[in-house]
Amino acid sequence: MNPQNSGCLSRRHFLATSGFHLSAFGLAYLLKQDGLLGAPDKPDLEVPHYDLLPKKPHYEPQAKAMISMFMQGGPSQIDLFDPKPELDKLDGKKFPGDIKYDDAAHASTTVMASAWKYQKHGQCGTEVSELLPGFASIVDDAVLLRGMQSSVNNHGQAIYALQNGRVLGGRPTIGSWLTYALGSESQELPAYVALTDPRGLPVLGVDNWTNGWLPSIYQGTAVRSKEPRIPNLDAAPYLRGEAQDNYLGFLNQLNHEHLDRHPGESDLEARIASYTLAAKLQTAAKEALDISKESESTKRLYGIDNPATAEFGTRCLIARRLVERGVRFVQLFTANQTWDHHMGIIGSLPAACKYVDIPAAGLVKDLKQRGLLDSTIVHWGGEMGRLPVIQYDSGRAKVGRDHNTYGFSMWVAGGGFKGGMTYGETDEFGHHAVKDIVSHHDYHATILHLFGLDHTKLTFTRNGTAMSLTDNQGGRLVKEIIT
Amino acid sequence: MPSSSRSSSKRASLSVPRADKQTLLRRVTIDLTGLPPTPEEVATFLADDAPDAYERLVDRLLASPHYGERWGRHWLDIAGYADSDGYTDSDPARLWAYRYRDYVIRSINADKPIDEFIREQLAGDEMVKQPYKNLSPGDIDKLTATAFLRMVPDGTAAAATGEQTVARNAVVSETLKVVSSTLFGLTVGCAQCHDHKYDPIPQVDYYRLRAIFEPGFDLEHWRTPNARLISLMTDEERAKAAAVEKEAQVVETERKAKENEFIEKVLTWELEKKPEELREPLRTAYRTEAKKRTPEQLKLLKEHPTINQLSPGSLYLYDRTYGTKHQAELKVFSDKEAEIRKRKPAEIFIPAFTETATAAKTPPPTFVFSRGDPQQPKDKVEPSDLTVLTTFHPSNIPDSTPAQPTTGRRLAFAMSVTDGKHPLTTRVFVNRVWHHHFGRGIVASVGDFGHLGDKPTHPELLDWLASEFVAEHWSLKQLHRLIVTSTAYRQSSEHTAAQDHVDPDNYLLGRMNIQRIEAETLRDAMLAISGKLNPKMFGAPVPVKTDEDGQIVVGVDTTDTAGRPTGKYIPLNGDEFRRSVYIQMRRSKPLGMLETFDLPRMEPNCERRNASTIAPQSLAMMNGEFTLDEAKYFAERVTREVGADPTTEIKHAWLLAFGCAPTDAELKDSIAFLAKQTAHFKTDPVKPEAVAKGKEGPPTEPAMQALSSFCQALLTSNEFFYVD
Repeated sequence: MNPQNSGCLSRRHFLATSGFHLSAFGLAYLLKQDGLLGAPDKPDLEVPHYDLLPKKPHYEPQAKAMISMFMQGGPSQIDLFDPKPELDKLDGKKFPGDIKYDDAAHASTTVMASAWKYQKHGQCGTEVSELLPGFASIVDDAVLLRGMQSSVNNHGQAIYALQNGRVLGGRPTIGSWLTYALGSESQELPAYVALTDPRGLPVLGVDNWTNGWLPSIYQGTAVRSKEPRIPNLDAAPYLRGEAQDNYLGFLNQLNHEHLDRHPGESDLEARIASYTLAAKLQTAAKEALDISKESESTKRLYGIDNPATAEFGTRCLIARRLVERGVRFVQLFTANQTWDHHMGIIGSLPAACKYVDIPAAGLVKDLKQRGLLDSTIVHWGGEMGRLPVIQYDSGRAKVGRDHNTYGFSMWVAGGGFKGGMTYGETDEFGHHAVKDIVSHHDYHATILHLFGLDHTKLTFTRNGTAMSLTDNQGGRLVKEIIT
Repeated sequence: MPSSSRSSSKRASLSVPRADKQTLLRRVTIDLTGLPPTPEEVATFLADDAPDAYERLVDRLLASPHYGERWGRHWLDIAGYADSDGYTDSDPARLWAYRYRDYVIRSINADKPIDEFIREQLAGDEMVKQPYKNLSPGDIDKLTATAFLRMVPDGTAAAATGEQTVARNAVVSETLKVVSSTLFGLTVGCAQCHDHKYDPIPQVDYYRLRAIFEPGFDLEHWRTPNARLISLMTDEERAKAAAVEKEAQVVETERKAKENEFIEKVLTWELEKKPEELREPLRTAYRTEAKKRTPEQLKLLKEHPTINQLSPGSLYLYDRTYGTKHQAELKVFSDKEAEIRKRKPAEIFIPAFTETATAAKTPPPTFVFSRGDPQQPKDKVEPSDLTVLTTFHPSNIPDSTPAQPTTGRRLAFAMSVTDGKHPLTTRVFVNRVWHHHFGRGIVASVGDFGHLGDKPTHPELLDWLASEFVAEHWSLKQLHRLIVTSTAYRQSSEHTAAQDHVDPDNYLLGRMNIQRIEAETLRDAMLAISGKLNPKMFGAPVPVKTDEDGQIVVGVDTTDTAGRPTGKYIPLNGDEFRRSVYIQMRRSKPLGMLETFDLPRMEPNCERRNASTIAPQSLAMMNGEFTLDEAKYFAERVTREVGADPTTEIKHAWLLAFGCAPTDAELKDSIAFLAKQTAHFKTDPVKPEAVAKGKEGPPTEPAMQALSSFCQALLTSNEFFYVD
């Protein structure tokens, strides 16, 4: 560009002649021009611009945010959500049909009825297992999906299917797609947050919140349960508080002395401002993660008063606080294979339920009472369900159930989903989904729709090809379950 | 040559003062080597009052091996260097790409004439006698150079059969993009589908250019990335490998026998659990070949899954049932096999772009693709340079060269673009060098010399530099000397009100531009200042991994196959402190620290980097593990070298970080900060914490904690981030 023949004013020129003054509009300028988390301030020729500023969806959305509770391992639908009287009759007898196993060495063909009782709940009268009193109490606000299917019998591939739409890794997760499409309502908090379990990461670890080949600003930010909770965003423990304030004060002094020697260099001023902004982000995150100012009754609602549920309850409450502050997508994980009950299901399934059930229901109730449920999708479910037959057939204490991705259950609530309904059916044994089947593609298409996004139009061009979450695999908008 | 940039040390500058010696030293040292000057270098240069002190400094820097790492990196950007194939989701590692990176660094350090450098990269294979066996180092270099044409994403090994046409075509068109932007500074890509809207490039030209490279690609007889590697193994080494393999096979046979034995045992135990009358039928059914089983046998097996699914693959699952250690016993054998195989001579490969004998004899035809769609070929075209260029400069590219084992197309093209008369090659190259020195090219759009690009600010200067470059035998080092000893380069970066008024963007170079250091320079300079930099050159890339929070860091991945952390830690023994150019550049896993500071994604290459200013950069500087570790090492170095007196420490740290002394005000502020921070850590002592394996714990003493904090401030300050 030649100044003599250039029709447009460059940014630097603009700044120099407009008396650029940071205190006046520096931060707003940085936020707007550079995007909070990663857009270049000097766009290159043909280099696309990516940021996290809020964006309009394809059409009017119902949902603005989503909280997903990912129950990694595969909760037993037979024992929790999908009562099968036929199994009670066949208990202990040979299974009359074909079964697909994952672990052959400990497989059997002996039918195992659920050890837990079902009862009708709510206005809708949906039958729920006695292991889930929390879910039973919000059943009128949720859709129970009993005909889920992904049909890949391994944890890794099944997790990929639910998280990124295909059974392979390397692709962006749904949270990544949502933030790519819609940005974030908050420029002070990460747009996409993964709340990990202090007991460990789920199978596939960090791949659960990867941006795949989307720009890295759409990666989920992992928030740990212990300090430092957000890498890079939190100061190292020994530098927290006064130590960091001293450091920032001194840095500011140095930078201003340097600026005095370089008058007119707006890049230097912008970098000084970016430290101020960074410190602000740190404060905002700290504030969002701090539940100490929440009332006792709120904490009770989430089970934070009970040691057995306090950990998950705290994360559920944080999830609400994040969404309240404009975060687009929050996913909570349970520890590695929490729900993978190959053996010892009689003892360990109730424990797994206890850990999450009351907090999960508390989250729905709290969102509802704050008027946030209508615009927030809540999801509870894992990557698979379990088989109607016994695995480890060697005594009651040892019995368990093997994987089942041909028919399983999960629930969704809020954000435009109907309340008080069940959708989908498995066969009489709970092995295969047979009616109103919802595949992971259907599920994704429906979620995107509630956010005002057409799953065939939300694309990212890679290698000259328009890539999408549902990846031309179909993807039925499940109209029956949305308002 | 315009007066504002004439290279003349005797002539006084026109309006602005020269940069002082310290500023100039830091500027030129970082510019040429990507590292800051050491205290010794500062002292030597300041003490050198000879009139040619600066010129000798430049010579010394150009002779440093770090020069090739810095300027090789610039070339790797435009070549689109990456250590993985990209394109598909799995992004497989490209294990031998580093051989090309090393070739580039070595060539730049050796000041290989750029015409030769370009010719080798376009047609090195056509200069080497076939077959490519028992190669001399020079021949290996020429073949490795052609990996320039193998840098783009290539998903053809993993893409499905139905997607092959598209995937292969993508490799060709991306390679053309790299070639045209490197040599011509033009984006010819859009002429793939239609006549270029703004530049005089008809669609047919694109395909003529493509025809030059077609025989090496050969869409119909495609070779996947691994099939294009050339092995450097000699016949002798190959014979030895075969002998070792034979030894390993012996153990393998033993292992398989053992495996069968175990299966028999488990089968017997499993059968014992079954009713007596079922045992023999089950055994017979199990032993019957799957296809030959009767319906009854199939039914019987299905009812007894623990027998039905017993196989070498599932054997390990039964260890739990019987408390056996079959898996462990078999592992002893497979470990032994692996141990034997380790004795095989290592097979080294080089990535290369070559033509097969068939393609050379009957070159695959090139067609114009209707709307760029490889499934709609139209007219056949002959190889040629762009028409707009051939009008000035005929290219004469043969269709084939019967006397030679290759078509000769690329060699003729390479000779033509490097003959010194080609209108674009030298201008584009020289402009790019200018861009790196000044932060902006004479044509600011370094990758677009076309109509949509920026017009040159100093067209005569560009022409003059290009002709000087050719006259100096395409010596890059000579070109650097010419530029960095110019008055323009040696100016102060200070603004003046008058100048800001007429030329606020400094298009006319009335002063030097201040520039933010690039991602690699940032990381490398921190390592250099902390004293940790490992100067080891070349070789396989330093691995990166995804840590437990999803950040990409330097390290060996020890997660299990399901992506779960195993808690294992494999030390890198100092390799973690190597320069950034040696860190693995996996397309899907860019090192987080570098990516935050605008490390480009190679899709397919990078013509010009961004220099963004965003909050995550500040967060990485305030809280990032790398920054905190380096600050601690820096503090330890300062104390180690000058003792524990605060004033001495501050001055030494300043010298290490910025190559100069603090001003009185800075010194005063620093002393006050150290005192304040020390007092803080004394009254509020740091609680000791467990430090995970491979992690660096915080400093332990209040004085060291304060000094680390001080060092962190220096490493995160604008004075460090920007070069005057």
